Amino acid sequence: MSATTLRFQSSDGVVITIDRDVAQRSVLIKNLLEDLGDTTEAIPIPNVNEAVLRKVIEWCEHHKGDPPSTGDDDDSRRKTTDIDEWDQKFMQVDQEMLFEIILAANYLDIKGLLDVGCKTVANMIKGKSPEEIRKTFNIQNDFTPEEEDQIRRENEWAEDR
Amino acid sequence: MARKSSGSASSPRLPPLQPAVNHAADFAAADTPSLSTPFKLDEGYSDETKTQVEKKDLAIPASDEWMTLQEWVLTHSEAERAELAYNLLRTMRASTVASVIERLAPRLHMDPVLKLPPEITSEIFSYLDPQTLLMASLASRAWRNRISDSRLWKDLYINEGWRVDMDAVRTFEQEHSGLSSPQLRKSRSRHTDPDSGEPKQKKRVPPSWLKSRTTGSLGRKTRPENGQRHAAQEADSEGDLPMGDASTERRTLFSPEEQTTSPSKRRESYSGSTQLKLGGNGLSAATRRPNSSLLIRMPNGAAKVNWLHLYRLRRKLEENWAKGRFTNFQLPHPAHMEEAHQECVYAIQFTGKWLVSGSRDKTLRVWDLDTKRLWHPPLLGHTKSVLCLQFDPRPSEDIIISGSSDKSVIIWRFSTGEKLHEIAAAHDDSVLNLRFDERYIVTCSKDTLIKVWSRHQLSPADKDYPSMFFGTGVTYPSYIIDTAEMPSPMLEAELANGHIRSLAPFSLLMTIDGHTAAVNAIQLNEDEIVSASGDRLIKVWNLRNGACKKTVIGHEKGIACVQVDNRRIISGSNDDTVRIFDHASGAEVACLHGHGNLVRTVQAGFGDPPGAEETLRLEALAVDNAFRDAQRSGANVDLGPRALRRAGYTQNTTGSRDPRDIKALGAKIPPGGGGSRWARIVSGSYDESIIIWKKCKEGRWVVGQRLRQEDAATSAAYVVSDPAARAATARSNAFAQQQHLQTPGAAATQGQQTPTAPAPASTSASQAPQAGGGGPLQTLQALTARLAGQPQQQPQPQPQPNPTPRAQPQQTQPQPPMNGIINPALHQPPHLPAQQQQQTHPRPRHHPRHDRDASVVPTSRVFKLQFDAHKIICSSQDPRIVGWDFVGDDEELREACRFFMCL
Repeated sequence: MSATTLRFQSSDGVVITIDRDVAQRSVLIKNLLEDLGDTTEAIPIPNVNEAVLRKVIEWCEHHKGDPPSTGDDDDSRRKTTDIDEWDQKFMQVDQEMLFEIILAANYLDIKGLLDVGCKTVANMIKGKSPEEIRKTFNIQNDFTPEEEDQIRRENEWAEDR
Repeated sequence: MARKSSGSASSPRLPPLQPAVNHAADFAAADTPSLSTPFKLDEGYSDETKTQVEKKDLAIPASDEWMTLQEWVLTHSEAERAELAYNLLRTMRASTVASVIERLAPRLHMDPVLKLPPEITSEIFSYLDPQTLLMASLASRAWRNRISDSRLWKDLYINEGWRVDMDAVRTFEQEHSGLSSPQLRKSRSRHTDPDSGEPKQKKRVPPSWLKSRTTGSLGRKTRPENGQRHAAQEADSEGDLPMGDASTERRTLFSPEEQTTSPSKRRESYSGSTQLKLGGNGLSAATRRPNSSLLIRMPNGAAKVNWLHLYRLRRKLEENWAKGRFTNFQLPHPAHMEEAHQECVYAIQFTGKWLVSGSRDKTLRVWDLDTKRLWHPPLLGHTKSVLCLQFDPRPSEDIIISGSSDKSVIIWRFSTGEKLHEIAAAHDDSVLNLRFDERYIVTCSKDTLIKVWSRHQLSPADKDYPSMFFGTGVTYPSYIIDTAEMPSPMLEAELANGHIRSLAPFSLLMTIDGHTAAVNAIQLNEDEIVSASGDRLIKVWNLRNGACKKTVIGHEKGIACVQVDNRRIISGSNDDTVRIFDHASGAEVACLHGHGNLVRTVQAGFGDPPGAEETLRLEALAVDNAFRDAQRSGANVDLGPRALRRAGYTQNTTGSRDPRDIKALGAKIPPGGGGSRWARIVSGSYDESIIIWKKCKEGRWVVGQRLRQEDAATSAAYVVSDPAARAATARSNAFAQQQHLQTPGAAATQGQQTPTAPAPASTSASQAPQAGGGGPLQTLQALTARLAGQPQQQPQPQPQPNPTPRAQPQQTQPQPPMNGIINPALHQPPHLPAQQQQQTHPRPRHHPRHDRDASVVPTSRVFKLQFDAHKIICSSQDPRIVGWDFVGDDEELREACRFFMCL
């Protein structure tokens, strides 16, 4: 029998105890455990700080009952940016946290969370003018007005028919 | 983190904060002139003093007070600093706080493109549509860079449901990626080599191939493909050859049409053979170097197709379709009218640069679409009209098969035009349509039968040997044995001792007798035959044993044409409609009214994006559920069209999802048949028009463009600019006019007889007179589609291999209605109900003068059309074959078209 809980150490040195099945939502950790066997030592997660790690764990706990990701084959399906209610609330965080969650989900290989994160950012881009996008993400416009004009003209083909 | 209050004691030393601001501008707002004066700050501070209960922590070293406050602050935890900042801000007026917040706002917003690696931003962008992405690409250079990611646009392209010739893409990339020789590649990989195309193409196109395709294949007996295949095998077996060579060889092997997709090859093939085919237009595009935007040069010298560019050009192309922007062309080239068929053209098919046509003049002709010129002399062999054909130019197949009203089927070698085999008397009547795959030939006839033939020698032990179905409708020749009855060791023994022999190529395998009228059209779809008949039915048969799998009902008159994919069956009928049926359930999911006469030919491209199956199923389910909900809530949704009409509602049958418009439940595809928004159906009719159907925003089918064969012929003839061609143009126009002048007269003398077009679809009318018909049989006979237009008693001009141009106008004159070839069933009486129907629910009728007006004899009834990604080609009563090319004169687009496949 393997232990039912695992201990992880965040990049800022905090040790957190997690249920094994929750931790295994992360493919990285799942593979790690398969290679490592049972361990009582705290597993270091060098790229994720405590605050982010706790957020990620919160998500994994809520989604522990989800069917496991089927891998890449569902990529063929048309992508929607619909996000369920709980996830939407969960993602109501500041942008720094949002991006860090995305980076952590990518690093820990938690596809469901990465998807939710990416959809959240995609939804922040949707329906916005370039100026609004710049404002949303604090982007410096480094185009000259002429360049901007030219790109707009180049993009005219995409206007809806 | 509870150590909050310790930091709040920083307040007493405010003045040092000001210099500190210079080092950390975002630390405080004090340098903004409009903000608080020291006086006000002091005031604020004094207000707050009473809250500072704990002053004991004042640990600021007295010596270098200036710089250390910030340091000191930073020694505290984030939470402590937050508390300090909070307390500081609380000392300020609301407007000051607001301006601080405003200045800090950008801190709360950060650029994902800078913060996240490209693989994640590309994941984010993959959720966005092209318009949004292009909008976002204006945000900054970094965004524009990330969004220009070619792979992103490849997915977008594919998700639009547009198909692409990946082989052509790979070949193109390899052709432009450095050079074959590793040493050379090393030295040249960093810059674009202007000559990179030259040495390669010499390597890649074996001389034997070029020779075979360019120096007059006429009468040549040896097949060039043998050497070709050999070369390909060599290339494959040699592992260290660059991939480019191997796969280019393979392409050459499997698709001679690649000459159209590879400009460098085409150039060479022409340069070696200028004496053969002059007057080719459109070659200027081929001789240009590839447009730079089509390629992305990788740092290692590899060339990749620029998918953003491809996406944009495909959009442009689709736009041209939607807006009806095209140029016209014709076969033959207007300067060479002597190459034209002498009478109307019943059948065409094109693949790559090749088009094969079959005509009432008994000949087949092979055309080069690049030059618009005849490739071989006409193929002679049939003794009556050529009604149907299919060809496969790939060297591995190299075949044309044609069917005729002389009841025979002829197999030709495509590359030489040589007649290989004839199945004489394949049917008891005209062979109306045929399809073949690698294994079988399937033919259908006016004799109401469908027959399946082997293409190659076939042993009973072979997996392609037919199995037997003991039910009605199918019979097998006596030499077909029931392999299910015989254990395989016994079968092998019988074969070994010669008691059972293999079947010769082109042996009849089975006869399917399931229609009660002429079978006008068939399609093969994997192991299915789909047939459409004058008996108004579409049937689906098992190709392996001839068993009927399903019958699809819907059309109100005989069916002239049918097309299938895995999800739908599309058909055109003498009831003037195009209908779409769910392949799985047989439910009718759309009925398109727009033509004013029999729909003779149809092709559909639904452009299903990847993963469409699930989407379609769910959409269909939602429609069913909406219907049932409406039913439960008491809405009158299930009255049927007539009752609905009485209730003041006319059903929309073009794909509406309104519950009242639903004809059948349980379909696996939604109303309209699903598909992408680019989905397209092109139908050609006896009303002399072609309709390009497209989907409107609501997903219903609407008439996108209406094209007229006549207009195309005129415009195609006028594009020619050299004097010789102009003379020919004049001739062909005169010819067209002559038709108009003569035909009414002919009609007058002939009374209300029908023209010479074959009329494949039968009607329900009992008026079709059959000599000696009587009794119950007569009904059957009447149902039977009449393939008119076979002037069997009519002496036809002898086919002339090289008709002279001068004789052309007379020769190509389509025959006026002939005695004995009347098909009244197609015309007057049966149409009366249809006209009444039209009055009750009006349809778009843009060309009323062609609507069954017997006083005007049509001259350009459309018999057959085919479209690909950028063009429609159609054959008609007019001996000229005409085309619409939606590339227009856009060179950039023409260049990209080599990669585009049909929807």
